[in-house]
Amino acid sequence: MLTVKVKKSFVKKGFREFSLDVDFSANDGITVLAGASGAGKTTVLRLIAGILTPDYGTIKLDSQTFFDSENDLNLPIQERNVGFVFQDYALFPHLTAEQNIAYGAKIEGKSAKLAKARELLTLFHIEHLKDRIPAEMSGGEQQRIALARALASEPKIVLLDEPLSAVDVETRAKLMDEIEFAQTRTKIPFIYVTHNEAEAARLGSQHIKLRTGIVIKDEVFENRESLV
Amino acid sequence: MIWSAFQLSLLVVIISTAIVGVAGLAFAYLIAKFEFPGKELLDAVLTMPLVLPPTVTGYYLIVLLGRNGFIGGFVYDLTGWSFAFTWQGAVIAAFIVSLPLMIRASRASIESVNPNYEIASYTLGKGKFETFLKITLPLAKRGIFAGLILSFARALGEFGATLMIAGNIPGKTQTMPLAIYEAVASGDDKNAQILALILTAISILAVYLTNKISRSHIYG
Repeated sequence: MLTVKVKKSFVKKGFREFSLDVDFSANDGITVLAGASGAGKTTVLRLIAGILTPDYGTIKLDSQTFFDSENDLNLPIQERNVGFVFQDYALFPHLTAEQNIAYGAKIEGKSAKLAKARELLTLFHIEHLKDRIPAEMSGGEQQRIALARALASEPKIVLLDEPLSAVDVETRAKLMDEIEFAQTRTKIPFIYVTHNEAEAARLGSQHIKLRTGIVIKDEVFENRESLV
Repeated sequence: MIWSAFQLSLLVVIISTAIVGVAGLAFAYLIAKFEFPGKELLDAVLTMPLVLPPTVTGYYLIVLLGRNGFIGGFVYDLTGWSFAFTWQGAVIAAFIVSLPLMIRASRASIESVNPNYEIASYTLGKGKFETFLKITLPLAKRGIFAGLILSFARALGEFGATLMIAGNIPGKTQTMPLAIYEAVASGDDKNAQILALILTAISILAVYLTNKISRSHIYG
């Protein structure tokens, strides 16, 4: 379970440009973080990952504290063990799909890393992409590699920042199935950021809605299947 | 004269370019990625040799590294050796004048790397140094190579600052540009011509390589 209780202000030229004040917990399922653009969804993800630092508050994942302003604790990004799927995927452009996944694989030795990468490629049925570099892949293919790369590091939580915004509608449904499949397999919290209503309706055992930096809705679904 | 000047130039330029490569990259990374007090000043000071007359740069090198200089005096008292009138002095001159070219070219290309690639690497558990080596460096390599070639060419053509700190001693500190000057001054047209042709050929090659690298198409 992830608990986030943080405040962060962005100041520009002395004026408070945007401030975020959120308080929520996320289950070990898929939590959809929805809201219009500018609501602070990506900021929340970046705070959890440690890319940004909150002004006040606490961020905890199970028994591990990521951030605690009271105790001056701020775990470095490298030690938080989060899998981050970027909106633009941020696949390393000079590495092949296999090398991208192997890069962060949590296992010693180059051949073991590559073996792990191939295992994940097989799991997602994308072995044929093995030797391609990102420029030679479609958006949907890059998205799969990005998810596989995040999982290879054996994260304790996966953060997805509008992962399907660059993918066509037909591919989208299939990729959502794969994200659900990955979550069911790993049983760790997935935080899924989207501004797309259709995606939000289709995914998640919990829905959190943000507006101008504040949580305006937080719903937990006991039995997701009955809703669909 | 030609052969010894050629050998000396090569020695000086290879050593100075190697140091410029490492130091220039370190400074470029520091300036591109970190905010610290005095950053603008550091950047300005390192860029100065690009705009200063080389003899002025050379003058400061004497003030700093000469037998009575701030650093040079200390070194001389300690070891009895000085940068003045040595080929090592020529290396320092070549290094100082070409460093800003390396810093500028590599800083620009380091800054042009999408920061999400580096952040992605951090989330995958990699430290800053490993990320720089495995992600930033390969993605910025075009600008870095261009900086190295420009630095090499600039170091090869260095005249003014070298003359000030290292002098013009044939066989000891007389590099190709200095040898040309002496050949012309003493009416030795043939040697001047040969040296000028060698330097022109190397310069054309440098421009050709720089253009080729900056036009090469990488990673879509």
